[in-house]
Amino acid sequence: MAVSGFEGFEKRLELHFSGDNPLGLRYLSIDDLQQVLDAVQCSIVSAAGNRSFDAYVLSESSLFLYPHKIILKTCGTTQLLRSIPSLLHHAADLGLRLRSCRYSRGRFIFPAAQPFPHTSFPDEVRFLDARLPATLRFRKASVMPSATSAHSWHVYSAADDEFSVLPPSGSTIEVCMTELDRSLARRFHRRKGDDRSGDEAGAEMTELTEIGGINPRALVCGFAFDPCGYSMNGLDRDRYSTIHVTPEDGHSYASFECVGGGEMMELDCLRKAVHVFRPGAVSVCTAAAAGGDEGGVWSAVANALEPLGLSCRNQAAEDFPGAGTVTYQTFTARRK
Amino acid sequence: MGHGLSAPAAFAAEEVDSPVLAIHSKNAWNDHWKSHKDSSKLMVIDFTASWCGPCRSIAPAIKAMAVKYTDVVFVKIDVDELSEVAQQWKVQTMPAFVLVKGGSEVGRVVGAKKDELDKKIAQLRA
Repeated sequence: MAVSGFEGFEKRLELHFSGDNPLGLRYLSIDDLQQVLDAVQCSIVSAAGNRSFDAYVLSESSLFLYPHKIILKTCGTTQLLRSIPSLLHHAADLGLRLRSCRYSRGRFIFPAAQPFPHTSFPDEVRFLDARLPATLRFRKASVMPSATSAHSWHVYSAADDEFSVLPPSGSTIEVCMTELDRSLARRFHRRKGDDRSGDEAGAEMTELTEIGGINPRALVCGFAFDPCGYSMNGLDRDRYSTIHVTPEDGHSYASFECVGGGEMMELDCLRKAVHVFRPGAVSVCTAAAAGGDEGGVWSAVANALEPLGLSCRNQAAEDFPGAGTVTYQTFTARRK
Repeated sequence: MGHGLSAPAAFAAEEVDSPVLAIHSKNAWNDHWKSHKDSSKLMVIDFTASWCGPCRSIAPAIKAMAVKYTDVVFVKIDVDELSEVAQQWKVQTMPAFVLVKGGSEVGRVVGAKKDELDKKIAQLRA
C-alpha cells in the first residue's frame, strides 16, 4: 500500500433551493460557475445537458445542475466545502432560497493528505455550521459505522424543515468500490503513444469495459485521463449517473452513483456497475424519502450483490433532516 | 420551458458578426439545406438551447473553429425555435454537433467536447 496516492473517495455536496425562476441554477454563467469551481480547485473537462439538467465532468469528478438542485462530487485533495460561500452568493443573486444541504463521504484512504477543512469530520461539520444560513435550523451530523474501522460513512445535513417539503426527487444510490480486480483496472490506463483526445479515449473505455451497457438508454460522456483514470456522466431524461475510476494498484477505487425512480431499475444498474470492477470491498448508500422501508432496501441491495460473490458485513439506517433516510451497507468478496 | 426568459447576455452578444450562421425559421433552414446539398462543403449543425449551460461553455470554441476552418459551413439551431428540425435529427442532449456532407450525416459529437469535435472536422472537411 502506497504511503500516499490519489484519493479516490469523493466528498459529495447536495444543495436544494426554491424560487420562482424556472431556469434557476441553470441560469448561472460559465464565468460564475468557473469561479465556484476555482474555490474547489477543479475545472470543467466535458459537459452536456438536456431539458432537465446540465452535467459537467470535472478534472476531479462531477457537477450536476438542476434548476433547484446542485450536486457537486469531487475527489483527490479538492476543498469541496469552499464552494459554499460562492454558490450561496450566486444563488441569492438568482432569487433562490436555500432549503437543505447534505454533505457526505466515505472514509479517506489517505486522510493525512487532506487539506482543511477536510482534515477531520468535526472540522467539516464546524465549517458547514458556520457557513450555512440560520434558516436551516434542523441539523444533524453522524458517522455511520461498519463492521471494520476501515470503512464508515459520514453524513451531515441541514434543512429548514424537519420533514422535507421538497418534492420527492427519487432515491439516490452511491457505491464505493475498492480493491478493484487488477486486470479490469488496467483497462482504465491509457496506452503509451495514444494521442487521441480524452473524450475519444474515454468513449472507447466506456465501450470496452461495458460501462455503456449499465443503462443503455443513457447518453454517456466518458473521459480518459492521462496516464490513467476515467470519469463519466450519464444523462437519461431527468436522471444522472456517474462513475469515477482511480485504477492505480494499491489504492484502486471506483464509484458509481445514480438516481432511482422507485421501480428498482437502479438495482440492475448497481449489479452491472459492480460487475465492471469486481471489487474486493463495496459500500452502498441510499438516500430516499423518510418513512420508507429500510429493511426492504437492505435486502434488495444484498440480493443484487450476493450473486457477484459479495457478502453483506453490516447494515445501518438513519434519518437526516431534509435528506430523508440514509442506508449504509458494506460488502466484501468471498475469496476462494 | 425557457420561453419568455432571455438567455444570459454573453450568449446573445456573440451572435453579432459571428461566422456561425444562426438559423431562426423553418424556411431559412429549408433554403439552407437545399444550398448545402448542392455544395461539396462539410456543414456542422450546432444544436443549442438557451437554457443549456454546456452550450454556452463551448460557444467561444465553436466560433474560433468557424474562423479557423473557412472551408466548412457552421450553422446554429435553437432546439426550442426549430423543435421539428431537432426532432428530425434526434437531438435530446446538447450541445449536439451533426456533421453533414452531400445531404448525409457523416459524424456526430454530443456534449461540449471541443478536442473531439475539432479532430472530426479536420478529418472530414477534405
